[in-house]
Formats: sequence, C-alpha cells, structure tokens
Amino acid sequence: MSDITSKPDGWAPNPRAARRRRFDMLATLFGMAASGILVLVLASILWTLLSNGLAGLSVAALVKPMGAPGSGGGLANAIIGSLIQTCIGLLIATPLGLGCGIYLAEYGSKLNRFASCVRFISDVLMSVPSILVGLFVYQVLVAPFGHFSGLAGSVALAILAVPIIVRTTEDMLRLVPVAMREAGAALGAPRWRVTVFLCLRAAKTGVTTGILLALARVSGETAPLLFTSLGNQNWSLSLDKPMASLPVTIYQYAGASYDDWVQLAWAGALLVTLGVLAINIAVRISARRG
Amino acid sequence: MTDTQQQAAPQNALTVRNLNFFYGQHHALHDVNIDFPARKVTAMIGPSGCGKSTLLRVFNRMYDLYPGQRAEGDVTFDGRNILENGIDLNIMRARIGMVFQKPTPFPMSIYDNIAFGVRLHERLTRAQMDERVQDVLTRVALWGEVRDRLHAPASGLSGGQQQRLCIARSIATRPEVLLLDEPTSALDPISTARIEELLDELKEEFTIVIVTHNMQQAARCADQVAFFYMGRLVEVDTADRIFTNPRQQQTQDYITGRFG
Amino acid sequence: MVDRSHIVKSYEQELGQLRSMVSQMGGIVENQVALALSAIADQNEEAASSATQQDPEVDALERDVEALAIRLLALRSPMASDLREIVATLKITGDLERIGDYASSIARRSLRIRSTSEQITLTGLRSMGRLVQDNLRRSIDAITQQDSSRAMEVWHSDRAVDEYYTALFRELVTYMMEDPRNIRPCTELLFIAKNLERIGDHATNIAERVFYAVTGENLPAVRPRGGIASTENLTDSTDR
Repeated sequence: MSDITSKPDGWAPNPRAARRRRFDMLATLFGMAASGILVLVLASILWTLLSNGLAGLSVAALVKPMGAPGSGGGLANAIIGSLIQTCIGLLIATPLGLGCGIYLAEYGSKLNRFASCVRFISDVLMSVPSILVGLFVYQVLVAPFGHFSGLAGSVALAILAVPIIVRTTEDMLRLVPVAMREAGAALGAPRWRVTVFLCLRAAKTGVTTGILLALARVSGETAPLLFTSLGNQNWSLSLDKPMASLPVTIYQYAGASYDDWVQLAWAGALLVTLGVLAINIAVRISARRG
Repeated sequence: MTDTQQQAAPQNALTVRNLNFFYGQHHALHDVNIDFPARKVTAMIGPSGCGKSTLLRVFNRMYDLYPGQRAEGDVTFDGRNILENGIDLNIMRARIGMVFQKPTPFPMSIYDNIAFGVRLHERLTRAQMDERVQDVLTRVALWGEVRDRLHAPASGLSGGQQQRLCIARSIATRPEVLLLDEPTSALDPISTARIEELLDELKEEFTIVIVTHNMQQAARCADQVAFFYMGRLVEVDTADRIFTNPRQQQTQDYITGRFG
Repeated sequence: MVDRSHIVKSYEQELGQLRSMVSQMGGIVENQVALALSAIADQNEEAASSATQQDPEVDALERDVEALAIRLLALRSPMASDLREIVATLKITGDLERIGDYASSIARRSLRIRSTSEQITLTGLRSMGRLVQDNLRRSIDAITQQDSSRAMEVWHSDRAVDEYYTALFRELVTYMMEDPRNIRPCTELLFIAKNLERIGDHATNIAERVFYAVTGENLPAVRPRGGIASTENLTDSTDR
C-alpha cells in the first residue's frame, strides 16, 4: 500500500551512496596521509638524535663533569643537576598541586567564586610561556640574593608543574562517582577521610599519571632555568649555587664552535628525549594497571 | 492480650512528623507524617520524583552534603530529632546505615571495605576485626564465596556480590536502621532474590526502609508499604492491604498500572 | 475505575475479554435456568432438552475463563482491584458452572413429574423459581456492572429463598404422608426444590465475590439464612 511496500527492489543501489563512498575514501586517505607525515617527522627527529647523539654517548660522557673544550669533559654534573632540580621541583609542586586539586574538586563547586578564581588562574598558568616563569623567579629568588641558584631553578620548574597536577587531580577526583562519596559519608566517615581514603585512592592512577606528565613536561624545560639556575661548568650539588642542567647545557653547547661540545649537546639531547620517553611509557603502564 | 499490648505501644524506630523538604526553592516533600515500626520492612513506592528517595536521604541526612537542600520538621530516632543542629552526623550515620542503588565497593580489598566503616567508630584488635568481618560476610551469605580472597580488591566481585558486600559493610557498624535505595535495580533476578532473602533475615535485627520501583519486590519483602506521589504521602498500610485493597484511588491506579 | 484504563493496552484488552467471557457464561446459565423453570411450569419437553444441551458450552467457557485468568495471573502480576477481579472471576465461573449443572438436573427431573396427581400444586415451586431466577439475574448484573449494592441485595434476599425451600419441604412431606403414591413425584419435586435452593446459594456466592472484587471487603461470613438446620443436613447429604 505505502511507498515502502511498493518499492520494486529494496536492494537497489542508492545513487547517493557512491558519492558518500568516494567522500569517505578521500577523508580516510587524508587522515592516513596526515598521520604518516607526523610519524615521518617524529621518526626523523629520533633518527637525527640517535645518529648524532649515540656517537657522543659514552661512559665518559656520563661520569665526567663538564670541562673546557677539548679537555674530554662529560655531562655528569648536568645530568645530576637536572635530576636534582626536577625532583625538588616535583617535591614542591606535588603537595601544592594535590592540595589545590583536591580543594577544587571536593570543595570548589561551580558556585564558589574563590574556587573559580583559583581554577582560572591555574589554567592561565598552564599556558604561560615558560620563559616568563623564569623571569618571575629571577625577580623573586635571584635578583634579591644577588646570585643564581639551583633552588630558584627548582622553584621555576615547580611553578610549571603545579597547574598540570592541579588540573589532572581535579579532573580525576571529579571522575570518582558521587555514590562513592555518599557511601563513605553514609558509614559515618568524616569528609576528609572520604576524600583521602576513598576518593584519592580511587583516583590514584589518574593522579599519579598527572604527576608523571608534569615531570615529563618540566624535565625538558630550558627557558625557566636560564635565569634561575643558570648552569655551572663545575661539580656543584649546592642548591645555593648556580647549578648545571641538561637542557641548559644543550643550549650552551649546541651553539658552540667546538666539535666535542656539539657532540655532547647531541648526547644530552638524546638523554633528555630518552628520559621523557621513559616517563611516557611509565605513564602508559600505570594508566593501564589502574 | 499481648497482641493488644503491642499494638497499644508500637515500637517505632523512626517517627516522622510534619516533614517538609526543599531543594533550594523546590518544595519536594509536603507535610509527611509516617512511622517506621522497628524490625519491620517498610517499602516506599511511587513514580520517579515522588519524593521517596528524598525521604530516605533525610533519614541519614545525606542531603547535608549538598548546599541548598534543607529539611524542616521532626524525625525522631531513639528519642531525638535527627534534624536538629546538635546531632553528631557521623554517629547518627553509623546507627542508620544506607545501601545505594549501584553497588559502590571502595577501592580496596574486600576485608578493608568492611573494616573501613568499623574503624571509624570502634577500636578493635586484629582478631576482633577478623571475627566481625567473617560475621557480617556470613550474614550476607558471601563468606563462602570470598573467604579465600578477602584481601583481593572488592572491584573483582560480581554486581550481586558487590551489593551484598555493601550491605555487609553497612551492617558491620551495627546500625539499628538500614536504608536501601533501590538496592536491586542494577542486579539480575537471581542476585535480586538473594538480596530479598537477605532482607527477610536482616529484619529480625534491623528496621529496614527500602525504596523500590519494583512493586513485586515491595509486595514480596515489605511488611508495610508507603505510596508517595508528587511529594506527598498518599497512603501507608500493610503490604497486604496496599496490594489487595488500597484505600486511595491514586494508590490503586499506580499499583494496577493505570497511571496517566 | 471503569473509565480508567491500563497503560498497557493488551492487558486492558485481556481483562475486557475475561469480563465478556464471564458475562457470556452468565447469560447462558441464566437462560438454562429459565428453560428449566419453564420445563417444570409448562411441562415443556423441548425447553428441558435445550437446557441440558447447553451444559458442554458452559463447561468449555469455564475452562477458557480459567485458562485466561491463570495467564493473566502469571504474565501480568495483577494488583489490587485487578487481582481481586481476576480471583473473583475464577471462583464465579465455578459457581456459574454449578448453577448450569443444577439447571440441567432440574430440566431432566421436570420430565419425570408429568404424571403428578391433581392435588399437588406447583405454585410454591414456581414462586421459589421466580425468586431464584431473579437473584441470579441480579448477581449476573452485579458482575457485568461491577455493582456492589446489587450484590448486597442478592445477599440479603437469599434468606427468602431458604424460607421458600423450608416451606416447600414441609408441604411436599405432607403430600407424601397423605398418599404413598405421591412419594415418587414428590421426591423429584424435593430434589428440584433443593437444586433451586443450591442455585440460590451459588447466586449468593457470586454476589459475595462481586462485592469483594469491587470493594475489597468481605461480606460477613455468616449470611442471613432461613430454613432449619435439620432439613439442611438431611437434604444436603442426599443431594451431594
């Protein structure tokens, strides 16, 4: 009776289908091409790094401190300096970021003006150019004391890490179902216990991932360290003194006209990249385990 | 003789008088008056948004977690109005437990799920805690299934097992009242039957208030049934009476499936 | 209640079907009783045979109603008024089926009293028949109209049926004592009277069930009764 039943052949080809198929094929091709280009770029970066860096990467480079051109110096003090500054930076950033993230997620409802303010500032901080952070710390922790210091470098890195930790902590805590909080409260648990023992525990993987991501982000930063820890040619573990770091060393050596320095810069770059890669793999593993 | 004496002084675990509830400007419960007899199962039924869950959440002041929600009136529990400001919410919530619609196992082991609530209120030795855990797991008929993996994460249990764990967790703090908010709506019929059987046993000891959308469930489990509609208590009576011969036309229409 | 319908239309249709089957059954049974009574009054052989011929139809309807009612109970989980109506219907069909049986029994016996002597009058039996018929009609109306007040009327007038029966019993016993030749026809008449009384009882049962289905309340367990306990026992044992 109706059009549908009187239709001669339900399987007849739809004239528009061919056009759709063509478009679909084009879109797929474009996507594949774009992905291919991206992979190529990444591969060539890695290739350049590996081919240039592996040559300079030797036991000597890893255990000897920096030295004058041609003196056979290594990167040891820069590696240690980087580790120290990132670790201290994270030690400062993690409690701050966690605390702030917890506050925003658990107490900072959308109606809370102060919380909205904090959230906005944290988001802005995340996109502030890192050199500005370096300048700021220079003004606050370097200029007044009259000298560069490893501590100032750590603080600069911490400032960069905090917003990332805040954002992931808040997001992960918000993913914890309301029912979990209510179930905790229904047993007579005070709010802080619910937050720490239930919510944070449930969000553990996500929060850890956030901290690792922050670590990956700051471990390659150069700009904020230029005006803060400055870099140091000599062994120095003192936080009070200028401190060497891999990114700054790369920056200094890569532009130099001594071949062995350039070689070391490539080796340093390879080390930083491997480090970031390792952290990213760690993030993946921890995310999967959660 | 004893029958009439009991009727003369009914033991009510919860007595609600002139209760009004507001979600901000929205008046969600209107002048509710209802008694919950001790060691009986009372089911609250009604269409979505009728206020039954709201009422349940008044009994342990769950609404306190959310700004803008407030209750006015009297809810008497053990001689005190639990809506008063001076009430210690944490103690009150240990005495009036709650189980939710979706099973909410805590992100920890089966053992710790139960110990979590107990540790909030009691100092027990390791042996006492072990005993308590075994006791409540046995009562929810879960002991046999989990005795070998007490320290495995609770998230590994099936939905029905998780819900029984949540009930075990609630009764582990030795409450007097157990509130259940659609506890079986996410479970399959077999798990549902297990929970219903469990309720039947638990009512020997606890006063049970259950919110359910499943009328058959209310008919099967409840001694007393309360029908809510548009924020008002329409009728409360024995389950027998409500399901064979309700007094109110609205109740009749709802339970026979004639609601417009 | 009548103007409110179920959200699930097929449920409503099935309930409607159940009601119409019961009223159909009621109609047939009512007709059977009418035919049986006219068989006595007019010695109408044709009426008598057509009354008995309707038995299988009633039995078949009873089975159908039962099947549908069980289906509804199993699949629809009826509650409150629906539950009461379905359960009452199950029992009412049983009552109707019995009434049908009694009607055909009366019809069969009516053929055997043709040779009644002049002196036996059937006036009392006719009045009792009219009253029972009236009660049955009212209880069937109560079913179809879901009318509890009509059911109440039937319940109250069952007493009169019992009184008629007691009077008739005495009258027939007197005839038998007067003349032994009356014993045969009078025994038949006694059974007919007993059957009528039973029909009245079942009509009252139906009324009670309708009253329960409609109001949810039970009529008092003890119904108003006329008659004598001793005669009750005597005739009950012979009839069953």
